[in-house]
Amino acid sequence: MNSMTTTAAHGSTARPHQENGEIRLVGLTKQFGNSYAVENIDLTIPHGSYCCLLGPSGCGKTTILRMIAGHETPTSGKIYIGDQMVVGKPPVERGTAMMFQSYALFPHLSILDNVAFYLKMRNVGKEARRQKALEMLARVQLDHLKDRMPAQLSGGQQQRVALARSLITNPKVLLLDEPLSALDEFLRLKMRGELKSLQNELGITFVHVTHTQPEAIALADMVVVMDTGRIDQADTANVIFNKPKTPYVARFMGGQNVLTGMVESNAGGAVKLKAADGSVFEAHAEGPAASVGSKLSISVRRDHVTLRRGETTSDVNSIAGVVEATEYQGSYVKVTIKTATGIFVANVSDRAYFAEQVDTGDKVVTSWSNGDVHVLSKVDTGAAGDSYLDGGH
Amino acid sequence: MSASPSYGPRPWTFYVLAALFTLFVIFLYGPMIAVLILSFQGPTASLVFPLREPSLMWFDELFNPRRTGDVVGAFNRSLPLALGVMLLTVLISVTAGFAFRRRFKGATAIFYTAIASLIVPGLVLSIGILVTFRYLGWSATWYTSGLGAHLSWALPFGLLIMFAVLGRLSPSYEEAAYDLGASRWQTVKEVVVPIVFPGMIAVALFGFTLSYDEFPRSWLTVGSKNTLPLEIWTMTTNVTSPALYALGTVTTIVSFLVIAIALSSIILIQRKRSRGK
Repeated sequence: MNSMTTTAAHGSTARPHQENGEIRLVGLTKQFGNSYAVENIDLTIPHGSYCCLLGPSGCGKTTILRMIAGHETPTSGKIYIGDQMVVGKPPVERGTAMMFQSYALFPHLSILDNVAFYLKMRNVGKEARRQKALEMLARVQLDHLKDRMPAQLSGGQQQRVALARSLITNPKVLLLDEPLSALDEFLRLKMRGELKSLQNELGITFVHVTHTQPEAIALADMVVVMDTGRIDQADTANVIFNKPKTPYVARFMGGQNVLTGMVESNAGGAVKLKAADGSVFEAHAEGPAASVGSKLSISVRRDHVTLRRGETTSDVNSIAGVVEATEYQGSYVKVTIKTATGIFVANVSDRAYFAEQVDTGDKVVTSWSNGDVHVLSKVDTGAAGDSYLDGGH
Repeated sequence: MSASPSYGPRPWTFYVLAALFTLFVIFLYGPMIAVLILSFQGPTASLVFPLREPSLMWFDELFNPRRTGDVVGAFNRSLPLALGVMLLTVLISVTAGFAFRRRFKGATAIFYTAIASLIVPGLVLSIGILVTFRYLGWSATWYTSGLGAHLSWALPFGLLIMFAVLGRLSPSYEEAAYDLGASRWQTVKEVVVPIVFPGMIAVALFGFTLSYDEFPRSWLTVGSKNTLPLEIWTMTTNVTSPALYALGTVTTIVSFLVIAIALSSIILIQRKRSRGK
């Protein structure tokens, strides 16, 4: 494990239980006044994993992060890091380090002294701490700027200083609060890559709060999708994206169409649904058997549908509508279709699109195969995550 | 005066406002400059222009008084008083500012109680303090009742400034310090105070000048010995020499010096931050 080398290098600053950065939240609740920011959450983040807490603003993801960090006290519940219960302990004893959204670099200190701050607080001598801080700055390739003040650095450089300042504490858990939100698009992608490789190199647990789906998918070993104080789904990025549990997750992650219908028949796992407009869908029900007459929601990936011109359709797994908008995305074209029951999005490869181009107002039929249908465990009420109904992602 | 966009001459309002501002500047600096010039009057001169046989004799008169009042003595009271008010204002404003960062019960009531002394007329307050001291059998002096009266004036300003400064200070600096293992005291000493230091200088500046200039709140509260503004006022009634002007010049210079020191230290700190050491 790479982190062991840094442990050795720091000697006196090493902490106990360094090897175990597993985070366990048990019945964690945070109340502000009468409202719940976080409500009775259970979650285990394995040691050495890159975990993204994903959700819209106000869903409680930052509150969870701050409770793990020790900057917020839970109303009830327990937080374990490694094998110790950390509620009530200061950050340094927890073995966590937090990188703040705005980085919170101390404006009156040079970046060298910013990085050396932790060692200064531990009464490490001036020469010794500056030497170590310089080594840490070298790791983030900023040693040549050691005498600059934070205000003189670009956003990306500031972020690296903040990283160095956190890592000098030799944490077993690094907590990142929207670390990429202050950067422009180009820098965001670059720093995203750097964060991932840094985590690989250090082998410690990263917990990263974000509201951006591509960021979570690109980085995380484990994605935790949150909705108003609760966890909707926690799994690998692949599962979250392809097999969302709920309509909310499907919509929030984007890339999915959510359809709802009445169960007409259910034989041997093959479920037949009839939507409100008469369209018929088929799916393999994986979960509990859906009883005939009940409602069921399914999801179909936007890029797993085909598109053709046509007025109506009587085929199974097919829906008709009118093109509302087309948006060129380079490798594919996003075609938004208004159907009798709502909005349906087809991401058509550019080759297929330009072979038979459709425009706003054209009547089209989309279809997909049985195997591309995923059954959701919750019926779509349209209420949860309403703002994502027309999901632009 | 058409409303259509125009790249032509400036609107008439520009000239009105420019004239108004010019008058304001003349009104503000004209008398000050006149006093400055007339303080160099010669021995045969009167209190008005023209300036005859320029000399420094009235400055000499000021510091070695023969006919004028006790200017040096008054200055020796006003300066420590102003410095004391300055120190206490900074100390109380900063600590109160910290307290108010964490909302506590009754914070608003306490805030308005402190700020209310801004609207109480100074003379009335002065009388009240004197009466209270008499009633309690204490004698009014510049370093007891005078100090209190001045604080009642300077402190609300200090509080308002400090609340604004600390209100803009992001809590994430303190959290970052806590995250990096700093104790509460270390956080204050190593992070918060250095960041809000320019604000503290502003508070100090207000504390000093408000006290150094104060007349109404000093009038009845400084006891038998005058502070500088009271001494100047006394002189206007019984001294009719250009020594009065010399005094005006000296006190103005002291005020400007204090302001210059304060401002340049703020500028120095900010320059150091933005350009590096």
